[in-house]
Amino acid sequence: MTPAKYKEYNDTELVTMCLRGDPQAWEALILRYKRLIYSIPVRFSFTTADASDVFQAVCLKMIEHLHELKDETKVSAWLITTTTRQCIYVRSQKFRESGSDEELEEPPDPSENVEHIRVQVEEQQTVRESVEQLPDRCRQLLELLYFDSRSPSYDDVSQVLGMPVASIGPTRARCLEKLRTVLRRRGIK
Amino acid sequence: MRHLSVENIMTYVDGYTLAAEKPQVEQHLHTCPDCSELRQDLHNLVTHLQQDTACEPPSDLVQWGIELFQPVMQPASGGRIRKIIAALVFDTFEQPALAGVRRVGAPPRQLLFRAGDVDVDVKIESMEANDRITLVGQVLSSGAKFFDNTPVKLESHGIVRYKTRTNLVGEFTFDEVPKDTYHLSVDLPEGQITLFCVHRANA
Repeated sequence: MTPAKYKEYNDTELVTMCLRGDPQAWEALILRYKRLIYSIPVRFSFTTADASDVFQAVCLKMIEHLHELKDETKVSAWLITTTTRQCIYVRSQKFRESGSDEELEEPPDPSENVEHIRVQVEEQQTVRESVEQLPDRCRQLLELLYFDSRSPSYDDVSQVLGMPVASIGPTRARCLEKLRTVLRRRGIK
Repeated sequence: MRHLSVENIMTYVDGYTLAAEKPQVEQHLHTCPDCSELRQDLHNLVTHLQQDTACEPPSDLVQWGIELFQPVMQPASGGRIRKIIAALVFDTFEQPALAGVRRVGAPPRQLLFRAGDVDVDVKIESMEANDRITLVGQVLSSGAKFFDNTPVKLESHGIVRYKTRTNLVGEFTFDEVPKDTYHLSVDLPEGQITLFCVHRANA
């Protein structure tokens, strides 16, 4: 498990630590961007298998290009571009494989959709990063309520956080208000 | 005007406001731009957060991504060997396909890695018939010096699967190995160079 301090490092610091061979920095990068990477094939309506292939290919590309990423101020922008290209590549491969052998036609131009996806994914990542900036209690609560794939019940959340069930609703409301304030500071309404 | 509390607005957004209180809350939201804006923002925020759950990759996939770094994570024996991650400087998969070119099967993938003044040229050829790949390469220095009899290892899932040595002109071959994600490392006097050199089924 990655130590909490790694969450505080920025992308450039994590990439530099990766290049020095620190596996926990790599783990922190993957955990920071796993949803961003996966969300793009999901938005392309890929199957789970294809989305997983894209995720793997992008992780490999990230390792291969670590030296270049050292100079990137925002790894997220590089990842969005790389993942989107990979999705377009996979889609065009699928199109070719499924097509007849007569003419190789390109799939419909996805550029309009791609721009829409890029905006959504960037916004989503900003929300995630803003959740990371919240006080621990709020961050843990929102992560359990919204990011945990097991969808824990209020009883489970109560046990994990040691918080009465009746307090979860009001605490969540206050945490969301704090999140709104952080997002406004970052220019997102 | 006294504003609604954020808890009351969230209860309304969730649809749990008591029927007896609902008209009063709605009346206030209708006349108070601040509370109405807060309600809209909270609604959007919850939608954003809920959408994010669908974007959670399977945990085994995340673990796979984390373990990609495994070979570098292993401590060098005796702590004396310097480990260097080579930079990928050229990859045919990054190049656009030539227009009008048709071929049967996947084209060979050619990669060039660089670590300091050492270049490692690698070609991966996929054999669809038996689901195997052949990997050939050459270790070169910028001074045209050849690295002969240099150990080269092919690892997957943190285990060394295949070993070979370079020939007189620094060439090496791994013939017809099963398709997998491999990490190639070259043991040079300057240190061990790790290449994240892989076969990608989808690329």
